Amino acid sequence: MALGADELLRSLAGALRERIGPAVGDPFARTQAFMAAVILEKLAGELAHAPADAAAAATERAALVVDVLALAPPGSAVATAATALADDGSDAAWNALVAALYAERATLGAGVFDGLLGRVRVALRARLDRALAYAS
Amino acid sequence: MSAEPSVEVIRGYLAAHFRAPDLALHDVERIAVGWSHETWLFDAAFTDADGPQRLGLCLRRDPGNALLRDLSSLRTQYEVLLCLDGTDVPSPHPYLYEEDASVLDGPFLVMAKVPGVCPSPWGREGRRFYTEAAARGVLPRSFTDALVAIHTLDWRAVGLDFLGVPGPGDDFARREIATWRTLISATGVEPDPVLTDVLGWLEANAPATERHTLVHGAYRTGNVLVHDDRVSAVLDWETQVIGDPMYDVAYVLSELNREGTDLLSNLVERDAFVRDYEAGTGFTIDVDVCGYYQVLYAMRSAAFWMSASGLYAEGRNTDLRLARTAWSIPVVLDQAAKALGY
Repeated sequence: MALGADELLRSLAGALRERIGPAVGDPFARTQAFMAAVILEKLAGELAHAPADAAAAATERAALVVDVLALAPPGSAVATAATALADDGSDAAWNALVAALYAERATLGAGVFDGLLGRVRVALRARLDRALAYAS
Repeated sequence: MSAEPSVEVIRGYLAAHFRAPDLALHDVERIAVGWSHETWLFDAAFTDADGPQRLGLCLRRDPGNALLRDLSSLRTQYEVLLCLDGTDVPSPHPYLYEEDASVLDGPFLVMAKVPGVCPSPWGREGRRFYTEAAARGVLPRSFTDALVAIHTLDWRAVGLDFLGVPGPGDDFARREIATWRTLISATGVEPDPVLTDVLGWLEANAPATERHTLVHGAYRTGNVLVHDDRVSAVLDWETQVIGDPMYDVAYVLSELNREGTDLLSNLVERDAFVRDYEAGTGFTIDVDVCGYYQVLYAMRSAAFWMSASGLYAEGRNTDLRLARTAWSIPVVLDQAAKALGY
């Protein structure tokens, strides 16, 4: 049976770390070989968990949109950004929501702003925790 | 990426500059650290009217793909060093700046080679170096004194106002945020939304500045040269500004610059630093303002790693260590998020 993509990357990383890197004499080139191994292992981890991470992200995002739309004034930039986020989970869509929050801070009032930001931060923390699983 | 300059080209240029046709270079050494400007150390031997001379020199070249991109200019470094020359701030004497990129395939500056070592505080050997120096007790005070010298310098009198002088109130913090936003934009990469939150928080909570001083912008061990247990030169004049001295103090107090030790920058006991800094400057350290600037430093780190990984992604730098820094961004964002309470 063929290796999965993540297993293939891990295999390549292992070869770089255990067989190729140690055989390279030049220190800079050896560092590059080990660094390539590190990167491939991180990519392998991300690839292996990509389906589960994507599913979790979609669920959290949908819940966030519901909560934000319940708190944000209809027609506000925050509500517009939240509606867009429902269909687009890109970083740009997330950034639009966060930027809209800060831009409308004064008109939202301290209580609503704090409530919305707190809710958004719960979702941001979950995203960050997933990224931290591969970070170093 | 710039090609490696030949020693003969450097020799020829310096021979013309110093009007010394017999100038020869000795002990040429490429310093293979950092991802910023490239550095060479060497001695220049020549004869002038006073007889044989031997000058220790340091050449820094802009490779055109340094991490800080347009934020760091060798011309500015040279001009800052000119202003600092002869002041109480330990710094290398600058000899020349060459803007013409055709000479060494990039602008470069030449300054004095100052005696000393600059161990990295991140490695085992560096940590041992600073731990042993801390135990002897001389270097910690010198480290603090050098920062005091920076913060008590009459920056207007030496001409450093060319760096730009912030307006009153929170203008300094806002200018600094804008500067680092520029680097984030230059990466061409969409920032993580946590970074957008951090930027929004920083702008909403920018503190008023009580006073303006020269600020180094990255004052820590690893950015100072040490000779005989004293700071012989403050290096890396790349992020200096006129601004709030608490910006530097925050970096010294930060946990970013120490690993497995309570010693600030792996070197100085906190109480001793606070006591000596406040006595030397007459300033009172504002812990709350320092906390704000520590979030700003986390933002800077994220921008720095975005720039690094972006240089690799753009094909402007092939060093895989830069590509790997993409996975460092969540780590610094985690620090910032925790500081904001999540």
